[in-house]
Amino acid sequence: MNRPPRALDPRAFPGVASAAVFALVFLYLPIAVTTVYAFNGGEQALVWEGFSTRWFGYVLTNTAILDTAVTSLQVAAVSTVLAVAFALAADAMRRRGSALASGLLAAPLVIPEIVLAVATLAFIRMIGLTPGFTALVLAHTTFCIPFALMPVRSRLQALDGHVFEVAADLGATTWPMLRRVTLPLLTPGIVSGALLAFVISMDDFIISSFLSAAGSTTLPVYLFGLIRRGPSPSINVVAVLLLVLAVLVSTVTYLAPRRKRTSR
Amino acid sequence: MRATRRAPGTLPWFASVPALVVAALFTIGPLVVVVAFSFMTRPPTGGGVVFRFTTDAYRSFLFTKDFTGQLRFNPTYLQVFATSAMQATVTTVVCLLLAFPLALWIATRSPRAQGLLVLAVTIPFWTNLLVRTYSWMLVLNENGLINRVSRAMGLGSHELLYTPLASQLGLIYTFLPFMVLPLYSSLSGFDFRLAEAAYDLGAHKLTVLRRVILPLARPGIVSGILLVFMPALGSYVQPVLLGGGKVLLIGNLVAAQFGDSRNWPFGAALSVIILAVLVAGLLVVRWWARRTGTTVSISL
Repeated sequence: MNRPPRALDPRAFPGVASAAVFALVFLYLPIAVTTVYAFNGGEQALVWEGFSTRWFGYVLTNTAILDTAVTSLQVAAVSTVLAVAFALAADAMRRRGSALASGLLAAPLVIPEIVLAVATLAFIRMIGLTPGFTALVLAHTTFCIPFALMPVRSRLQALDGHVFEVAADLGATTWPMLRRVTLPLLTPGIVSGALLAFVISMDDFIISSFLSAAGSTTLPVYLFGLIRRGPSPSINVVAVLLLVLAVLVSTVTYLAPRRKRTSR
Repeated sequence: MRATRRAPGTLPWFASVPALVVAALFTIGPLVVVVAFSFMTRPPTGGGVVFRFTTDAYRSFLFTKDFTGQLRFNPTYLQVFATSAMQATVTTVVCLLLAFPLALWIATRSPRAQGLLVLAVTIPFWTNLLVRTYSWMLVLNENGLINRVSRAMGLGSHELLYTPLASQLGLIYTFLPFMVLPLYSSLSGFDFRLAEAAYDLGAHKLTVLRRVILPLARPGIVSGILLVFMPALGSYVQPVLLGGGKVLLIGNLVAAQFGDSRNWPFGAALSVIILAVLVAGLLVVRWWARRTGTTVSISL
């Protein structure tokens, strides 16, 4: 067997770069197509008739779409606040019962969403609620907690424990310490957590579709109904607006810890 | 203020109780209720259940009563399970094949490029599931990108949308980031000087890949398989939107029982069967992890 020449790059493996680029193209091609067609001026989703933003105007003045978007925003806002509050409180637990806690947190990641959806519907019925706004908020808060907690936890792990000891030596007691030391230091984590919880709630379709009622239909539930009827220019636009939300949230959560580090 | 034994700056343990109660109530509660419902009786009309114990729901998974009242083996639902397991398996394998080179490639870039590439993988991950699925409807449509290219090349049109293949493609697309992220996190800390050392000792590229990189990636591979296979098994959106009703997977069967079919006990029983498969899978992974001394954590 020949020995590879020494100049060989230890980081390069045959075919890996091209396979990686293929995977990236695969990830971006479909959403790129949708983005392009959102700026189509024609009456049909896929027949290009020149650049136009007229469908953005249509979507942003369509009351049916706006109403469901408002419902989604309300559910997401309430669930985000609750999930972040719970996540912060849950963090006090760090040592106690952490096995149970991490089990609970991983559960929504592996259990198929349809199972969680019908189980939640059955549970809601069992405790005497009916599908509607309250049911949506309760379910959304639950599956948002893990996502709100993740960045807060990683931020806490990255913090220097001495900060707290110094503050304690200077006479800070629990509440002032929380308000003046812990919370300000955790802010980037809390902001990321809130954003992730918000986008998770805004995006949820399967669970929401079982818990929505007339008058409390969320945007994804309404969108699903539209999509079932086939592609249309207004769906392209709604899709791009949701895509922009994803790009914004991912970028902000990516930049948030970074900026903190460079300013130190 | 008296001295406390807990670390400064943390709340007492009972502050976590509300969060634990909500999480436990709304995660475990529904699972308990679904198990209970699967043993109850279907009401004469409408959805919901009547509180009378029966195992009818499970029996009807495998048997149907014919008109003389005799039980007959009916493999229809088992076939739906088999189709779902097949699609989930193909999804997992293809995702692994696509994700491994991507994760390895990202892990070998400069730290700054790694950050940006991880961001590039996370954006589709955070994009609405319906948007990602809808985008494939545009690509596979009669007038979509693939058919246009195919026509321009003189290969004619193909019926791509509303086929089992489209549903399969949608699943692969949806779950790819779930495979890339855990793989990347198991590879990202690797000191590539070790690979260099292996070359100096006369190892080939493929040997290094097989004997050094692959064992290193193993926890990520297992975590990725769980994060892809399990949710894919119960997928619901892709078969409806891309499969166009021609593909019936367990997820759709479950949804139908709580929707038009109004057979909640049977839907609950199907959910319990899916959960049983999930628990069995987790137990196998735990057994494997113990035997090989690997730590597997299910996280992204």
